[in-house]
Amino acid sequence: MSMKKSKSASALKLGAIFLALYATGAIAAKDYLVTASRPNLVFVADAKERKVIKTHTIPNTSMGNSPITLVPSRDGKVAYVIHNRWESISGIDLDSGKEVFRAELSEGDIRGKAPFAMDLSPDGKELAVFVNPTRLLPGEYQVQDPYIAVYSTTGGVNAKPVRKLPTTRRVATLAYSTKGDTLYAYGWEMLKLDPQSGEVKGMHPWRSWQRDNRGEPDTLPIWPQWEQSKVFATPFYVASTDKPAGDPASLRAGIWTLDLEKDVVNYKEFENASVVLFSSVVNPVRRNEVYTVYTQLTRTDMESGKMDRVDLDHTYYNVNVSSDGEELYIGGTQGDIAVHDSRSLKKIGNIRTPNGADQVLTSLRVFTR
Amino acid sequence: MGINSRSHGKGRWLVPAMALIAPFIVSSAAAASAKAEALVSAKCGTCHAASEPGKWDRISDSRRTPEGWDMTVARMTYAHGVVLSGTERRDIVKYLADEHGLAPQETASYRYILDRSPSVIEHFEDEEIGQTCARCHSYGRIAVQRRTEGEWRKLVHFHVGQYPAIEIQAGGRDRNWFEIASGDVSQRLGKVYGLQSEAWKSWKETKHASPQGKWRLVGHRPGWGGYEGTATVSPGGDDTYRVDMRIKYANGKVENAKGSSILYAGHEWRAKLRQGDKDILQVFSLKEGGRELAGRWFEEGNDAIGGDFKAVRADGGTPVILSVQPAMARAGAKETLTINGVGLKGEVSLGPDVVVSKVVSRTLEQLVVEVEVARDAETGVRTVSLDGVSSDGALKVYRSIDLVKIVPAHPMARVGDGGGKLPKVPAQLEAVAYAAGADGKPGTDDDLRLGVVDAKWGLANLNEAAEKMRDLDFAGRIEPNGLFLPNEAGPNPKRVFSANNAGELLVTAAVQDGDRTVSAQAPLIVTVQRWNDPPIR
Ligand code: HEC
Ligand code: HEC
Repeated sequence: MSMKKSKSASALKLGAIFLALYATGAIAAKDYLVTASRPNLVFVADAKERKVIKTHTIPNTSMGNSPITLVPSRDGKVAYVIHNRWESISGIDLDSGKEVFRAELSEGDIRGKAPFAMDLSPDGKELAVFVNPTRLLPGEYQVQDPYIAVYSTTGGVNAKPVRKLPTTRRVATLAYSTKGDTLYAYGWEMLKLDPQSGEVKGMHPWRSWQRDNRGEPDTLPIWPQWEQSKVFATPFYVASTDKPAGDPASLRAGIWTLDLEKDVVNYKEFENASVVLFSSVVNPVRRNEVYTVYTQLTRTDMESGKMDRVDLDHTYYNVNVSSDGEELYIGGTQGDIAVHDSRSLKKIGNIRTPNGADQVLTSLRVFTR
Repeated sequence: MGINSRSHGKGRWLVPAMALIAPFIVSSAAAASAKAEALVSAKCGTCHAASEPGKWDRISDSRRTPEGWDMTVARMTYAHGVVLSGTERRDIVKYLADEHGLAPQETASYRYILDRSPSVIEHFEDEEIGQTCARCHSYGRIAVQRRTEGEWRKLVHFHVGQYPAIEIQAGGRDRNWFEIASGDVSQRLGKVYGLQSEAWKSWKETKHASPQGKWRLVGHRPGWGGYEGTATVSPGGDDTYRVDMRIKYANGKVENAKGSSILYAGHEWRAKLRQGDKDILQVFSLKEGGRELAGRWFEEGNDAIGGDFKAVRADGGTPVILSVQPAMARAGAKETLTINGVGLKGEVSLGPDVVVSKVVSRTLEQLVVEVEVARDAETGVRTVSLDGVSSDGALKVYRSIDLVKIVPAHPMARVGDGGGKLPKVPAQLEAVAYAAGADGKPGTDDDLRLGVVDAKWGLANLNEAAEKMRDLDFAGRIEPNGLFLPNEAGPNPKRVFSANNAGELLVTAAVQDGDRTVSAQAPLIVTVQRWNDPPIR
């Protein structure tokens, strides 16, 4: 690992220059945020203007709940969102607000629920969703094996899966590789699936990740926010088994990343667990920098492990980043998306959700148009 | 993360035990039972097929407490659309709790979960079950049910089917939760808490005693102290009773109480009374062939406040010593002791070194004496005896208070009100004094528990994080009798991160023993509201 460091560092710099050129070249391209809020809204905000520009309603949903995972198409035309007590997925046209896609996960005596894991293939043609089905008998529930439903995005408002892939239980993240040839299913391990057959082609160890003096790592990866860097990142905690319980160093915190382009895992343990770390995003320009939120905003240098941290004015669940890597967007609670400077970490603006309602556990995504 | 647990509001639960205590309309027990059976057939039979008269799929394969049945029936209404009037709900619960209940000894170790004792640290009777199951709710909730292995497994399926996040939440994601819970753990549950038991079989065959009659009662209400009194229970038909009580606290307060009760499964006593100026609920068990009634009562809607209770037949003929107040006397001191019981005749003996100098007053139910304790009296328990009755350890003599403990050891309070729907949950603390045992060292197994003593209470920040957040300034205050009152709910703009008024405090109790001060400390956690507060937590 250390051997490669200098090489990859210069590659990173090159990448940064390239991206910077690209950003100035494509003058018209702008960053937009797309996310949802309780109980049934999907909305688009102009990031630099700090303004909501479109607000759409998810039709036919349960009003007592909140939408969860949201995935926009790369072109920013359609956003797919899990809602209706996790039993429905809608594709909302972000210009017209029309529901252009809808899949019901429940049918007959089977109730299907999608707890979080969902991604769109890079070409925008297929949507993969992890589904937990339960058979509802007259006086009894029977848990069925979960599956990954793959839909064609041209399936319309009565979409049925074009394939069902077998899967282990407890998958919390699905992520396509940038080429679309691998579907990562993050459950007990980070499995690499063939998106066509579901065949397990390999894996990056998670539960079976073995390190000296370390227990099994723990993370809650329900936050798809890798579109800018193409690097999946999740904060984790791990017990340091050579330290006595009660020693602050007996629980360590770190960031674990998977490059969806190169299929390379990286991690950095950077502190004794001291604050709650909820979700992370990788800077697409200064690619060694990862930002993590909850009641603090933390920046971690994945090479040196250096950490900077500021307190936030309230709790935040999700975080995303601008294409130039300069601004961070953080949201989740109190109907508030705050904008922070990625260098100083200071708050430089904010955007209110259209109805003032919370985003809760939905995703905060960025697209460029 | 509580992803799902908030979707139903508080309104789902009738106030605990409320649903359980209203009287019935029908008059004979047999008629009530036949009517309830028809009601179960009509209301439940559509989804739970009857295999034979009085036996339905799922329903007859488990046994529960009245609260347990009420929770399940409530779920049938909010999750599966069963429509029941209040009376129908009560009749069904009464019938099921009688037919498929638990014997007294089957719930004996888990009364705390039924009587809502505050801040109990649970002990897992079975470690594997505890680790897998007692994460979102108590272990007690499980231990007061009995099911076949298959029924336990169906419950696991219900959990995952209803709350799919169970597998990715903390406590679920570190293991193959579904596989473990529906495999080995269902098997363990079927063994440890299986449907069939000798205890229940013989209890069902026993003719149950009636609580009707006169009772002599004692108890202890944390914050106020010991009490004693009398109760009259008269029949109201169909296992319901009218209750009249008069109780007198050691601090001089007197309360009259009046209300009604229902007896489930021949021993589960649930009552609602107007006691003083409060409505209180009693969760008692009728034991010893109907000779003893014991349990905990608490204020309706404020179950952190209440007391324990024990009553024996006042009309039974057998003498009983119920309590001595105070139950501790210092070497060299003069004390006035009150002995409560029934049939208290003859000369009283209080054991070595304790001499009765004067009988202040006496009835068959109460004896008040002045005593002198020898200056060189040995620390230890004393047997109190009268004609035909004695009580070991009813009095403790001590030379010094060597140790104080705060009870409960891990108190918890909850913020509330502040425009929100849920009230504050206070924490009532007490200081308990101990004397060192024979080894002369306090803090060892042979310490002698003397009793509850007055203390001077203080609060501080528990740790560095609390210091930084200034929890002490925001979380609440403590009254001279050890009652901790938390502050209001909701974000507090005066706090960093606009945090709410939760906090981590350190509470200190300083007890005066002669000219020495003996202190104890305990962490006091002030946390957020409990949004879903079912009858069995
Ligand atoms: C509309 C259909 C329906 C009706 C009517 C119905 N139930 Fe159920 N019941 C269910 C379903 C579905 C389950 C399994 C899922 C669950 O446990 O909630 C169930 C489960 C149960 C269980 C097992 C619960 C556990 O803890 O494992 C019991 C006991 C039960 N019902 C009792 C009743 C009683 C008593 C009634 C009548 C008051 C009733 N049910 C009426 C549908 C129904
Ligand atoms: C992730 C949280 C979680 C875990 C772990 C969990 N439960 Fe539950 N359990 C619940 C919830 C939520 C309910 C619904 C009732 C309520 O609203 O409190 C429930 C209800 C119950 C009930 C009452 C059902 C009825 O109607 O009688 C029992 C008994 C129970 N659980 C036993 C278990 C057992 C046994 C296990 C381990 C195999 C377990 N629980 C593990 C969350 C959990």
